[in-house]
Amino acid sequence: MCRYGILMKAVEFINVTFSYEGSGAAVLDTASFCAEYNQLTVLAGFSGAGKSTVLSLIAGIIPNEVSGNMCGEILIAGENVRGKQLRGLCRKVGIVLQNAELQIIHPYVEDEIAFGCENCNFSPALIEECVLYSCSTMKLNPAWETGTLSGGQKQRLITAAVLAMKQKIIVLDEPLANLDRDGTLLLMTELRKLAECGYAVLIVEHRLDMVLPFVDTVWDIRSGKLFRVENKMEYLKSHAGCITDTCVQKTTDDVLFSLEHVGLTAAKRQILKDITFSIRKGERVLLLGENGCGKTTLLRLLARLSMPTKGKIIQYLDTSFGQNRKGSRRWFSEVGVVYQNPANQLFMPTVMQEIAYGAESEQYAREIMHLFRVEHLAERHPQSLSEGQKRRVTIASVAASNPRVFLLDEPTVGQDYSGLQEMISILNRLHEENGNTMITVTHDLRCAEAVCDHAVYIINGFVAEEGGKELVRRYFTKDDIRH
Amino acid sequence: MNVRLYAERPLYPLFGLLSSLLIAITGLLAAPHENCILFLGSVWVVFFVFGCRRACLAVIPYAAVLCAVFSGITYAVSRDGISSYAAVNRILAVSIAVIPGLAVSPVQMVRNFSMLKIPRIITLGMMITLNFFPLLGNEIRQVRKAMKTRGADSMASPRIFYRAFFIPLVVRLVNISDTLALSVQTRGFTSGSSAHSVYKPVRVRFTDVAFILLILGLCAGTVFL
Repeated sequence: MCRYGILMKAVEFINVTFSYEGSGAAVLDTASFCAEYNQLTVLAGFSGAGKSTVLSLIAGIIPNEVSGNMCGEILIAGENVRGKQLRGLCRKVGIVLQNAELQIIHPYVEDEIAFGCENCNFSPALIEECVLYSCSTMKLNPAWETGTLSGGQKQRLITAAVLAMKQKIIVLDEPLANLDRDGTLLLMTELRKLAECGYAVLIVEHRLDMVLPFVDTVWDIRSGKLFRVENKMEYLKSHAGCITDTCVQKTTDDVLFSLEHVGLTAAKRQILKDITFSIRKGERVLLLGENGCGKTTLLRLLARLSMPTKGKIIQYLDTSFGQNRKGSRRWFSEVGVVYQNPANQLFMPTVMQEIAYGAESEQYAREIMHLFRVEHLAERHPQSLSEGQKRRVTIASVAASNPRVFLLDEPTVGQDYSGLQEMISILNRLHEENGNTMITVTHDLRCAEAVCDHAVYIINGFVAEEGGKELVRRYFTKDDIRH
Repeated sequence: MNVRLYAERPLYPLFGLLSSLLIAITGLLAAPHENCILFLGSVWVVFFVFGCRRACLAVIPYAAVLCAVFSGITYAVSRDGISSYAAVNRILAVSIAVIPGLAVSPVQMVRNFSMLKIPRIITLGMMITLNFFPLLGNEIRQVRKAMKTRGADSMASPRIFYRAFFIPLVVRLVNISDTLALSVQTRGFTSGSSAHSVYKPVRVRFTDVAFILLILGLCAGTVFL
């Protein structure tokens, strides 16, 4: 436990059993676990296995904010946490919660980082030192406006805000969920450096392919127990291999969308500058590019949720839809859109009704439920589901209207590896059976090739390159394609 | 929060709030009098000189439109020029009273109030509330677009429209407030009287005293003369 008289274990669980109040099922069952200083530890496992519960127990969110029944001992920096208040624990453990963009309350980076230090009663001189240290560690400028930051920068800002409070134990809940490759590498490199500087860094993440090269220790959570993974590479292969594309190519020579010098300017910012390419009927198009390059904007233009401010998008889906018009109800029955935030598209009282809402018949809705393996959730309220389940139900609900064009914005976020494999297999099966045209945005290396016939790489609002699976491979593995 | 409107050298927030209150009350009371427009013009110039240039310019188009609409309605109803003039002054008084709120950043206000020992739950709540309105607008736009994609944006089916608008919006807002509350707590914020510091203390400067004295003088002059 001690090396040269220094405490090595930052977090220790000793036979911890935990269940949420009102639920008989134990999330943790005599689980033992530890995370050490000087190490970057990852906690992996399937969705709903209890990873976030472990983080909440470490940070004191359970039992201070969320009630439950707990047996066993949890030691933080050698001290038992039983009876400790959140305000005391947060001086020892910094937690970076999911959804960084929802946690920012100040207009400037400097003030956001200083907030935690003010709460800890640091002197102004010390706060300034902490702000500068955190900004340089997380590659941020204290004078930046928080409203103008990209998703990756917001994630780094919230991490910097936690770092500034000088806790030596940092835990992060799915920090890579919406980050591109560059953002991920930057964050993971900085977390690695922190571990080398003596911090204990614990991260919960599904994207093991991006995380494992940086980590020292891997823990797997299964059936309420935590297991230390001895062979990282074996584990990586079984949990993060690239999914093989088994889909038969359905591409035809007919053009479905033709984009000619498309541009979009919003709030004086040119998001798309000059986008020119074609999408053919029955093609699976993958939009590649870093955070903020305009992929989601382009998807919205194709969906007719926004109109381009320059150039034109010609559709050959149906002449009656016309050109340069906003999407009508009939348009959206032909063009299915799955949002980045799935909860916004769910509104019916049960999953069954949600899927049946756009379906041609109840029978077809049942088939779709069976295909997406959500039959067991049929009577649940869609908003009561986990994030991964919500995403699955949203995709099922949109798929039930049998659209000829399927636009998917980050459809795999929040899915564990088996969920991801299943989701890709379902999407490809629907594509094969219905011959739809699928246009996907994803940062997930594991599934990118499996949903791609035609890759379009966007840099700063321009199409930098078009290609097939080889472009996807190069994008995720090499740097040279961007020069 | 519109960062672009913040003053380069902010006013002392408490004086800013006090001046807003004084201008609104004086302007509303003196609205029918012929000197009121002089008072409001002078106050606008004082704000402009004391660093609130961008906020001063930003209110002009809104004030112009509101003045035209309300004075038009007043004249159409009363056929009285003085009533229309008073309506214009009332709109201008409120528009000018808003300037300190636009020009002082919420974090300055929170730090000022923290130093005055006002409970932090009030000051932080105030800042989150100011942050919340743009967020709410953005969430409403997102939900409206999501409704379109599911074919649920037609008022022809009011039950579906209601469900598709309110359920995701309410769930999202609850989710945002939960996340925000947890985030500030895990970053050491407590609603009690625990010790805390202020990163950049907000102190009264000579110019702040000169500013509030000028505003007090203008208000007193308008009321008594």
